[in-house]
Amino acid sequence: MTARDLIVDVLLALGVGAELICCLGVLLMRNAFDRLHYSSAATTVGPVLIGAAVLVRESVSAGGLQTIATITLVFLLNPVVEIATARAALRIRDRAE
Amino acid sequence: MSVFLIAASVLLVAILIPGVVCVRAQAIDGVVALELCSTLATLALLCLAEGFHRGIYFNVALISAATAWAGGLIFARFFGRYL
Repeated sequence: MTARDLIVDVLLALGVGAELICCLGVLLMRNAFDRLHYSSAATTVGPVLIGAAVLVRESVSAGGLQTIATITLVFLLNPVVEIATARAALRIRDRAE
Repeated sequence: MSVFLIAASVLLVAILIPGVVCVRAQAIDGVVALELCSTLATLALLCLAEGFHRGIYFNVALISAATAWAGGLIFARFFGRYL
């Protein structure tokens, strides 16, 4: 096992672990706003670590560039969805009160 | 078995956890869980592409990231307006 393989393993384990923690957070929290916190974290920490693991393995190739594009899309666009969902949850809560 | 295939398997199984929230919680909580499911699916596709060493499979993850964003936005707008 080379140092490169070790780095890939560590990054992947951290990324998948972060995603699992976010899954448990979404499962255990009580309302939509608390759940959004974990859902947002799942679009930042985990994808960057897993993308970094792929990039260490692939380096600069077509797959590596597509990985960068994918992670960038997830990182930049998902906060828009989270904000829209939070506004929808707020509207639903205001209507219920 | 490649470490990327193991990671993809774990991520695919992890989709079941927010899946429980989709089924059992209120609708808006289900939307939040669905967004998490889409992120997990995109990452699983990325890991599968690397695990199978097929460059063309990376396109699937890229398209998944783009369409999951559009789908999540539509769901959020729909539920905010009609619930």
